[in-house]
Amino acid sequence: MASASTLTKLRYRFVPDHVIGEILSKKWIDNAIPLLVLVCVVAVFGMLIPNFFSGSNLSITSRQLGEFALICIAMMTVILVGGIDLSVGSNFALGNFMTLALLNLADWPVAAAVPTVVLICGSVGLLNGVLIGYLRLRAFLTTLVTLIIVRAVVDMLLLQYVQAMSTSFYQSDIWDLIGLGGLFGIPFSFCVLIVVAIIGHVLLTRSRPGWRLMAIGGSRRSAHNIGLPVRSTVCAAYTISGMLCGLAGVLYAARLSGAGSDTGIGMEISALTAAVLGGNSLGGGRGSIVKALIGAIIVLIMTNGVLRLGLNSGSGPMVLGLTLVFAVFIDVRWLKNRDKLLNKVYVSPTYIELPEPVSTAAGAGNALALNDRLRDVEIIGLAAVESPEDVILDEDDYLYCGTRHGDIVRFAPPDYTSHEVYAHIGGSPLGMGWDKDRNLLVCVGGMGLYKIDRDRKVVKVTDETNRSTLSVVDDSRLRLADDLDIAPDGRIFFSEATIRYEMHDWPVDALESRGNGRIICHDPKTGKTHTALRNLIFPNGICTSQDGQSILFAESWACRVSRLYISGPKAGQVERVLDRLPGYPDNINRASDGTYWCAIMGMRSPALDVALRMPSFRRRMARRIAPDQWLYPNLNIGCVIRFNDRGEVLESLWDQGAENHPMITSMREHKGYLYLGGITNNRIGRIRLDGRDKTWSSFRSYWGGPNVRHAS
Amino acid sequence: MSAMLRDLADRFLGRGQAAVTVPALDGALKPNNLLEEAPIGFPAASADNLAVTETGLIYSSEGTLYRQGSCGGPASAWKHVGEPVSALAVSANDVVAIAAGSRILLIGPDGNERAELSVGSQPWAGVTALCFAADGSLLVAIGSARNGLDEWQRDLLDGGCSGSLWRIDLANGRSHQLAGKLHYPNGIAVEQDGGIIVSEAWQKRVLRLSETGKVIAQVVEDLPGYPARISPSGRGGYWLSVFAPRSQLIEFVLREPAYRKAMMAEVDKEFWIAPALRSGYSFREPMQGGALKQMGILKPWAPTRSYGLVVEFNRDFVPVRSFHSRAGGRRHGITSAVEAGGKLWVTSKGGGEVVAIPLAAGGN
Repeated sequence: MASASTLTKLRYRFVPDHVIGEILSKKWIDNAIPLLVLVCVVAVFGMLIPNFFSGSNLSITSRQLGEFALICIAMMTVILVGGIDLSVGSNFALGNFMTLALLNLADWPVAAAVPTVVLICGSVGLLNGVLIGYLRLRAFLTTLVTLIIVRAVVDMLLLQYVQAMSTSFYQSDIWDLIGLGGLFGIPFSFCVLIVVAIIGHVLLTRSRPGWRLMAIGGSRRSAHNIGLPVRSTVCAAYTISGMLCGLAGVLYAARLSGAGSDTGIGMEISALTAAVLGGNSLGGGRGSIVKALIGAIIVLIMTNGVLRLGLNSGSGPMVLGLTLVFAVFIDVRWLKNRDKLLNKVYVSPTYIELPEPVSTAAGAGNALALNDRLRDVEIIGLAAVESPEDVILDEDDYLYCGTRHGDIVRFAPPDYTSHEVYAHIGGSPLGMGWDKDRNLLVCVGGMGLYKIDRDRKVVKVTDETNRSTLSVVDDSRLRLADDLDIAPDGRIFFSEATIRYEMHDWPVDALESRGNGRIICHDPKTGKTHTALRNLIFPNGICTSQDGQSILFAESWACRVSRLYISGPKAGQVERVLDRLPGYPDNINRASDGTYWCAIMGMRSPALDVALRMPSFRRRMARRIAPDQWLYPNLNIGCVIRFNDRGEVLESLWDQGAENHPMITSMREHKGYLYLGGITNNRIGRIRLDGRDKTWSSFRSYWGGPNVRHAS
Repeated sequence: MSAMLRDLADRFLGRGQAAVTVPALDGALKPNNLLEEAPIGFPAASADNLAVTETGLIYSSEGTLYRQGSCGGPASAWKHVGEPVSALAVSANDVVAIAAGSRILLIGPDGNERAELSVGSQPWAGVTALCFAADGSLLVAIGSARNGLDEWQRDLLDGGCSGSLWRIDLANGRSHQLAGKLHYPNGIAVEQDGGIIVSEAWQKRVLRLSETGKVIAQVVEDLPGYPARISPSGRGGYWLSVFAPRSQLIEFVLREPAYRKAMMAEVDKEFWIAPALRSGYSFREPMQGGALKQMGILKPWAPTRSYGLVVEFNRDFVPVRSFHSRAGGRRHGITSAVEAGGKLWVTSKGGGEVVAIPLAAGGN
């Protein structure tokens, strides 16, 4: 058994299951299946066809690819916006013919002929665009019509000029370079493709027109409703498609210098196959240049390969057709199931063995023994605040708390019956702290670290930190800033409880119990933010120690409190302060007598402790049953403990019925009272503490001030 | 081979046998608060085993039997049995059969043992239900041969199917087994034609057996909870007490042998992930996500390990109406229910209470 559990431990230590979910949540994962198909196709044809990987073959193939991939990008652009362009083949043929005609017959220079051809083909695209974008004709029928008409035009022109064209021959160095040469040994057409692809990629993924294109493809109506110029964008997509066809036609003309009636026949089918095979969704809104390129390479290798294998004439289209069916099938299944799959595999529990908890039995006689000292908690602001995770008081005894509506609410002394919205931040305000200048610093779940200055102005302090080197998802943004405290030198240390869950399902992180959290340090002097400590198990409460040399932090799901030295000889070191807690520690704050208060937000249940040692059990549970039914930590009852720097628990305050003040996530001692906050509560509690310093306040403990203001 | 592969695939994908689906409380079982809010309730620790006699009701509270007028009024202690009473039945001529410990006692209306009747010399341990047949013989349900009555949760988690049904001829004390390998038979009723209705708790169903113990039909299947005693209703149908709810988590744990073994070995049984007669009394009990209180309120539809439910079936075993005490309520763990004096009398073993619901109240 021992060896089995060691194996489990090692397996969960070294196999990062959570990465699967993170990879699946990335957008580029859509390329995984097309890329796999590409690798297979290259491997199969590489084996079947001799000299497949030879330099000359690669050169020829890449020259063809230069033309074909441009057509595919043209098709992709249109598909992305939710349409289809069947006229690419005939437009391509038109481009080819026009190039040859302008050069051979009209004797134009290359520099003039090429842009003209691109514009002519672009105008065909524009025609499509006007009909489809502005006049709202069906894309399929419209482009089918252009396919036929343009093809007819090309055939008529060919009939008239083919004789004259075949007898003349255009001679120029640039033309030879385009058709036969290349740059640095790379075929010219391939260079053009690379340039177009890079520009296209940047446009699509990093520019406003590109985003609009995708938005319109994703949902035309929504795009219209938010005020995007749907018609002109659609029209532009078809025009770009036409221009790209023209460019491809130029390259084709330069390579073969011949116009025939079979040029570009069936090309729309190949391009469509390539676009879909690459993973561009036919429904629109989902696609990329990379996908188009992958599709183009697959289709080109397959059609060429089938040809070179010498199969009979029908087999090429047959292979293509079957591949298209396969691609559409995969596309539909993937689109439908990707989110389902992600939902199922995202929660990835790991192994954690919690030490036996300290007994809380009423008769145990230790400091944690159950009692009812919190039964008579006074209630403040019942139903006026929701989710006051943290509470704090200023020197004038005003009481502040955050709410889940993103407000900071302030209660007025001495009876705390009247309240006002002190400031509105948004997000879920969690831990709070005063800096030296009496600005209120607030950790806001979902947003980051914010500051409310004395004029009630809300200022963002930081919402990002340095990105970890090996992280799959971008972990530089702060997802769940939780609690903060300020060191004597002004540095702000705050915890980010988890980087894998949003504010509304933070308890799910307990199912994982992995070190998903971190402690981040912001230095207001330099304005820099960096991660001080990572891989912590739900770091929650943060408190600067009484001597200012270290910060204490609670790791909730690990049921322990540790200390991080921030200055002095041991700076940077971490040591354990408190362990074997019977519940999950939350915020930590200073007490008046040089000790610390710590809120226990929930209690451990033995059945969950056993499950924590069985990650596969928890993983299956997360997949099989509804989230409401998952085994959770018991967050319905908690307590407050007081401990000292040596890690000794000195006392605990309980309410066994947990009726008056159901849940406790934080507490502040202030002038003889203890104020309580709880994240699932609709109230704040306070209780008088006997025998405590009635003049002590947290602000003065940090930043000094007049010693006695109210004689007591 | 293919079956094995299919099981493996099912286990991986959570289909077939590995699917954890729980029937919804729907139709006639739509939740209400009629049981929780019923006006009449008398405290009685571990109240159980309600039965109707000619002079009123009797029920047990641990080792003591109480008499209770069927119109209400205070209960009076009637007989001390010593050991906790596990089952009770009253015959047509007011003979009371009491199962306690490993004995079955037969008592007349005067409280004295009926010496002329006998249950034989063998010990009768683990009796979960008793019922007199029309011919005067006594039907006895043994919940589990492997686990004691207070270990019923272990029996469920072990997949217990060692229950049995017996018939004792009281005239000569001879007994014979009618059916074996039952999944915790927990309630018996007898039909007009002599057929026997048995609730099988771990299979969440009710069976109809012939007089000789042959299974004829599964009259109720896939109940949303674990059934207990059955008693006749005033309209020719039946009242079925449901002592604990099913939940996805429990169904899931039942399919996880490694976790189940570790949990049973290391955790006290009141803190197991298992159905319970009462819950919410200790923070060490397992809690499920939906039971997280928000703004100090536990949602009544929260997942819970205990529940209070009585269902009325008509004579064709179609559910007609039900009375509920939902998550966070007190009147949980309903083990027996009888209809008398225009009221439905119910024992909430988990809540330690005898409750009466005026039947004019309806229910749905």
